[in-house]
Parts: sequence; C-alpha cells; structure tokens
Amino acid sequence: MKLIKDKVAKLSFVALLVTMTAAIFYTPTASAHGEKSQAAFMRMRTIHWFDLNWSKEEVAINDTMSISGKFHVFAGWPETVDKPEVSFLNIGIPGPVFIRAGSWIGGQLVPRSVSLELGETYDFKVLLRARRPGEWHVHSMMNVEGGGPIIGPGKWVTITGSMGEFTNPLTTLTGQQIDLETYALDSIYFWHAVWYAIGVAWLLFWVKRPMFIPRHIAISSGKAASLISANDKKVGMAFALGTVIMLGVTMGTTNEKYPVTTPLQAGLMRGIKWIEMPATTVDVKVEDATYRVPGRAMQMTLTITNNGDSPIRLGEFNTASVRFLDADVLEDESGYPDDLLAEEGLTVSDNSPWAPGETRTVSVTASDAAWEVYRLADLIYDPDSRFAGLLFFFDEDGNRQMTMVDAPLIPSFI
Amino acid sequence: MSASQSAVRSRAEAVKVSRTFDWMILFTLFFVILGGYHIHYMLTGGDWDFWADWKDRRLWVTVAPIVSITFPAAVQACLWWRYRLPVGATICVLGLLLGEWINRYMNFWGWTYFPVNFCFPSNLMPGAILLDTILLLGGSMTLTAVVGGLAWGLVFYPGNWPIIAPLHVPVEYNGMMFTLADLQGYHYVRTGTPEYIRMVEKGTLRTFGKDVAPVSAFFSGFVSIIIYFLWHFFGKWFAKTDFISDEDL
Ligand SMILES: [Cu+2]
Repeated sequence: MKLIKDKVAKLSFVALLVTMTAAIFYTPTASAHGEKSQAAFMRMRTIHWFDLNWSKEEVAINDTMSISGKFHVFAGWPETVDKPEVSFLNIGIPGPVFIRAGSWIGGQLVPRSVSLELGETYDFKVLLRARRPGEWHVHSMMNVEGGGPIIGPGKWVTITGSMGEFTNPLTTLTGQQIDLETYALDSIYFWHAVWYAIGVAWLLFWVKRPMFIPRHIAISSGKAASLISANDKKVGMAFALGTVIMLGVTMGTTNEKYPVTTPLQAGLMRGIKWIEMPATTVDVKVEDATYRVPGRAMQMTLTITNNGDSPIRLGEFNTASVRFLDADVLEDESGYPDDLLAEEGLTVSDNSPWAPGETRTVSVTASDAAWEVYRLADLIYDPDSRFAGLLFFFDEDGNRQMTMVDAPLIPSFI
Repeated sequence: MSASQSAVRSRAEAVKVSRTFDWMILFTLFFVILGGYHIHYMLTGGDWDFWADWKDRRLWVTVAPIVSITFPAAVQACLWWRYRLPVGATICVLGLLLGEWINRYMNFWGWTYFPVNFCFPSNLMPGAILLDTILLLGGSMTLTAVVGGLAWGLVFYPGNWPIIAPLHVPVEYNGMMFTLADLQGYHYVRTGTPEYIRMVEKGTLRTFGKDVAPVSAFFSGFVSIIIYFLWHFFGKWFAKTDFISDEDL
C-alpha cells in the first residue's frame, strides 16, 4: 500500500513540476535587443535610418517623448527578404514601458501596416508616453512581413516616477470617460470568477462521492447503470438549463449596457507619402571595397563627380545605423548614441572640396570598433557579400546631399 | 500485489484507501491536464487567446472552440467510459483556466506589465458545463459529439461577450476610429507581435453582412463535432492503458 501511495505521490509531484515549468512560464517577447544578432546584410541593405532624434533622455511617468527621423527604403533590397509591401512601424522597447501614443509616416497616423516603396525616403515620428520607471533602450523599428523586425538605432532613456501614477484617460465615442489602464477589469474578473465557481460546483457535486476505484469496479461487473441516479440527472438538467439561461440573460444585459460596439478595425494602409528628395548632383562610383579584419576598417575607393554648381565635401558614411563622420566637415549635434557614432571614423585621402564639374578618385576609410561590436564585419561571411550605406555630402552652406552606395566587399585578413 | 493485500484489513479501511486514491488521482489528473491542455491551447490558439485585440467576430470565434474541444473530448471519453463520471470537460477547462490565469497574471502582467484587461483568457466554461451535462443526460458519446460539439461552438461567443463587449466600444483617436481593444493593441507595444500578423476580421463570410459572429459560431460548432469524434478516440485509446493497473488494487 505504502509503495503505491509513494508512487502516486511521486507521479503527482512530477506532474506538478512538468506543469509548472511548461506553459505557465510563457512570456511574450519583451526584449528588442536583437540588434547585434541580426544578420549584417539585413541592417545594411533594407531600411536605413537617419536624422534620428530622441526628444528627451529623461522623462517622467505620464509625460511624452518622441523618436523621429527619416528612413530610406533601400532600392537594392536583398532577394532573400520579402519586399516591404506589408510593414509596420514599431518601436523597440522592452514591453510596454512606454505606451505608443501615436506613430506617423509622412504625416499620416499608422496604427496599421503600410506598404512601402523601394528606393524612397520617408519621415516618421513615434510619440511615446512613459509608463514604467527604469532605464530603457529605445529603438526605432520596422517590422516587415516575411522579413522580420528591422531594428534601428537605440538610445538609453530614463523614466522617472512610479508606475502607480500612470493613467491612460480616454473619452469614447459614446461619451464615456475611461482609464484604459484599468478599464473593464472588474467585470473581466467578475465574469471569470462566476463561471469558474459554476465549474467548481459541478465538479464538487461529483467529487463528493466515491469516484475512481468503486465506480471502475461497478462498471467492470456490469453495474454501470446504477452509477447515475435520477437525482444526478435532475441536477445535470439544472446546470444545463441554468447555463443556457444565464448566457441569454447576460448577453441581453450586456447589449443593454453597451448598445454601441464596433468590430475590431484592421486592414493594410496604402498610399503613404514619401519625401520628394531633390535630385542628387553627386555621382559616386565604387571602384573597390575591402574590409580589413585586423584593423576593423572598411576601405573604399570612390570616384566622385560633382555635377552641381557649388563645391562639396564628403561628411558622413552611414551604414546599419553606425555613423562615420569626418570631423572637419560634420559634427553631430543631435545627441546620437555614442556607441553608434564614430565622430572621427571617416578618413578621406583628399577631402578638399570637389569643384563644380570636378571628378576625383579618393580612398575612403571607415574605421571604428562598432564594426566588431555591432557585428557588421560578419558581412564577409554572408552568402552575398555586399555592403551598402548612405553617403552624405555637404557644400559650404551646409546643404546636404544623400547618395547610396551598394557594392561587393572583399575581406582582407592581413 | 501482496503489499496492498496486507495493508487493507477491513472494509472501512478499504473505503478510506479508495478515497485517498480518489483525491490523489484527481489531483494528478488535474495538473497533468492543466499542463497538457495549456500547452496545446497555447500552440494552437495562441495569440487569439492572449490579446483582446485578437478577439474578433470571425476568426477567434471560429478557431478557439475548434482547437479547445480536443482535451475535453478525450478526457470525457476516458472518465465516462471507465468511471461514468461526466466531469471530463469541466476538469479540463478548470485546469486550463487556472493555468492561463496564473500565466497571464504572473508573466503577462507581473513580468512584462501588459494590463490584465488586455491579456485575459477566453471563457470556455459554459461550453464545458454543457458538454458534461449533455453526456450525463444523453449517456451517449455520439450524442455528446453532435449536440455537445455544436453547443461548444455556439456558446463560445455569448459566453465571452459580457467580458469583451466593453472593449468593443468605439473611440476616436488622432482622427481614426478604433475599438478600445484595437487601441490597447496600439498603445501597449508588443515588439514580437507586429500588427500584420494579427488575424482578425478576415475570411470569406462577408456575404452574411453584419451578423458574422453567429455564422462563424455555427461553422465552428460543426468543425468542433468532427474534432470531438477524433479526440474522443484518443481518450478511449489512452484509457486502455490503465492509470492504475487492476493488479495493483
Ligand atoms: Cu537595444
């Protein structure tokens, strides 16, 4: 006897453990720190984020901040990734530490997925309202159906205060004033509790009598019919009718209480406006490009022609959100995240201004630890070893022109 | 087994032992079902059950009952066939809901801070009571499959409507109309659940106009009947390998 008892006890314990370690521990994905593990070509050849601005570095609960800027949808989008025909402007934060109070592409609110055009540049803004105190890495992010999340640069933002102070007030179209943070919570708990109690009552009705062994013996010896009494059936009938009546009544009272309800809203948004970029007057040809593994530097030979009417210089190379600047030409004043900014990371063999009409071939080196830290160097192990990025040229008045480069990359191991 | 023969010396003691077994088996059964059913439902129903902005009139109403009638059918078959106990569906749903509530409260809310009014589970209890009472009153698995399966699909939406209706009140936000549930989905950022994977209000039932929920529910009920048949065979097959073999008693 004791042996069996132990056996069953052990079994119960194992069952408990299995249960507890399984489904109950499921947590929805909260972290967005996949930026480094994402394949380098995904970050270099899909969406290029630039001109990013995080409006605050510290924000109090209930206050708002925004992350805004532009993104260029790369024309040489990799074949292996689905085109951004269904894309969703997301935000990379660890769960709802902020609520997304609004998000816009080209001035249009984009709560749903949108269709983006290759080769175009869009401006965007995401308005966030602080909900949970802490220090959070806030990334821009674009989800592309069939391509996964494309994570933009992240910056640390501190939220101060306490979560208990957070409210999410709204006025519905029926004129109700609500706090979405706790709205309808009481009735959710109430109805679940009521129905759970009914289930428990039904179970107790059967559990209070001897169950498994005697009933099993009765069935084995052909006395199954004796196991269900007339009273059992009466109680069963009461539960069945009670359930149906309760469903009808609660359905009715609910419709009375909420006479106006609408179906969930969904659907793809098309016709999102892009920025009409002025035609570029700089022509860039990549003669060759190598990545020097020991030096953590990429070296390109570029033939640059200035077709405009004012002299220009090369100021920035931007790839996968890492910005390599020539400090003589451009200084960052936007508070761009340090780890993604190589303030003196761009060296041009001869960066004297290109006069209008001038063509000159120069050697450009982009070097920074970020190549390793952000695992961009892994590019050389990709099946299609190409790199891509944005080049920014500036004239004396600070006018900026943007061109794309996209070329094969040869690794150099010595 | 000789150990059991020597342990029980009187009828009173046998009754006591049998009762101890009842509680142990019930306890084990409850948690085994809780674990298995919960994992199954999470893998098949998943997001439809997790988020208020997935609980629509078409796909949620269709999918949730179909994938959730599985374990109730199997456990009913087992408990009715071997013990004439019409509690299989109720035990399943009690277990599932307990597991879900622990998960939603501890992890979705306690760990990642999604508000509970956004990530509460669906209510399956009315269907479970009907399945069990129909089995009791009719005494037939076939009848339970047909009438109970259909009922399981039909009562799902009404059973959840009092819970979700407040979240279907419309609101204007930045010049667009949302339901409050849509707005929850927009406000409470899910980095791993982009908007386009949300499968709601899609399907070919558009011709029925406004009353899509009843049509979806009927369809769901019909498929539930088939799934019930399928899974009650699993239950019977499972019950054959005895929980406690007769030799041990
Ligand atoms: Cu990060």
